[in-house]
Amino acid sequence: MRLEINFKSGKPVYLQMVDQVKAAAASGAVQPGEPLPSIRPLAEELRVNRNTVAKAYAELERQGVIESIAGKGCFVRTNGSPLKKAVRMELVTHEIDAAVIQAHHLQVNKAEFLRLAEERFAAFQQRRDRAANE
Amino acid sequence: MHTDTPVIDVDRLVRRYGRTDAVDGLTLRVAPGRCYGFFGRNGAGKTTTIKCLLNLLRPTSGGIRVFGLDPARDEVAVKSRLAYVPDAVAFYPWMTVRGTLDYFASFRSRWNQETERALLDRFRLDPRQRASHLSKGQRTQLALITAICPEPDLLVLDEPTSGLDPIVRREFIQTVIGAYQEGDPGRRTVFVSTHLISEFEGLIDEFTILEHGRNVLTLDADTARQRYQKIHARFATDPGTVHLDGAQSVRQRGRDVEVVVDGRSTEVVDRLKARSPEALTIESLSLEEIFVATLQPAGAAA
Repeated sequence: MRLEINFKSGKPVYLQMVDQVKAAAASGAVQPGEPLPSIRPLAEELRVNRNTVAKAYAELERQGVIESIAGKGCFVRTNGSPLKKAVRMELVTHEIDAAVIQAHHLQVNKAEFLRLAEERFAAFQQRRDRAANE
Repeated sequence: MHTDTPVIDVDRLVRRYGRTDAVDGLTLRVAPGRCYGFFGRNGAGKTTTIKCLLNLLRPTSGGIRVFGLDPARDEVAVKSRLAYVPDAVAFYPWMTVRGTLDYFASFRSRWNQETERALLDRFRLDPRQRASHLSKGQRTQLALITAICPEPDLLVLDEPTSGLDPIVRREFIQTVIGAYQEGDPGRRTVFVSTHLISEFEGLIDEFTILEHGRNVLTLDADTARQRYQKIHARFATDPGTVHLDGAQSVRQRGRDVEVVVDGRSTEVVDRLKARSPEALTIESLSLEEIFVATLQPAGAAA
């Protein structure tokens, strides 16, 4: 897993890290049970404050993507989000709304949108399969 | 987030040299555990402020508290909990690196030997070398070791990387990130004054921009990058003079319009979109660009 920080994206640095770890977990670039780098070397490598890394890891833990084990570090969770199904559906609904609005303004219709969603699901599945075979 | 006593509390500080106000009513507060940037041009009053924090200068008026204490009255209590790396470092020329470290350690109640070994190794400093034979970069590295080994609650850095080569600068910043912040990060605070802002971009949690001894802007770094954005639009034909309310600065060159905004980006973007541009990009300003935009107000951008 490679993290890259872009200070010009306007997105807070810790959220960039959260999104990249989530993307890596979804695509199989990090596997369940795999450890994340510890805070100090990662902070040095990315040249960011360790508070920022700690904040990103705390947020990932809150979202149920990783778990921290005292004295051992942070690991990608096996059994996924601790949130209730209804809450998880609601969170995804928000994200889909944003994408639907964007599609409307970019003249992407419903059929095209759904085909794109199918393709993206397949792409992530493919990446996970490839990662599992390595 | 923090309800604790600020590590640094500067309240309407004034410091006058003759008839010049080097610091002119500065107010700022640094919460524990933060890495705080203190940005200003040469002569803005950064070093004068730092000297007041360290009781090397007495304020003309206004208040200074460090760890909630008065740096003049409780000088020992304050100084035993902080370490300072000045811009120009001087050591006793006859002492070796080893001798210098022992000398500094003798004033401290705590001294992390393991950190000392690791840093001597990382900087490839020879303990037998005399201080008089060290390069400027090596002197700064030695000063950093003497500042980090006592594991102080507050690390004050005054223009620490000016005059250093890029490799030494990189190592310096990595060392500050790593070694210093190890241990209890909630209590470790860094206060760094610099005009080489881009190097510290990722390290800074919060910053103050100082000009003519006054606080021009204090912001959280992430908030600053969300607020200050550069919008670039290209039109099919010269759009004529574009009037944009809420823009910090507008630069127009033929078909290209570049707008810097401070927190009103949607408004400006909508206004530009209404003129159907060929291309429109939005990016955040870096802290260095924010510094320049703040000190070079609308129209003055060259």
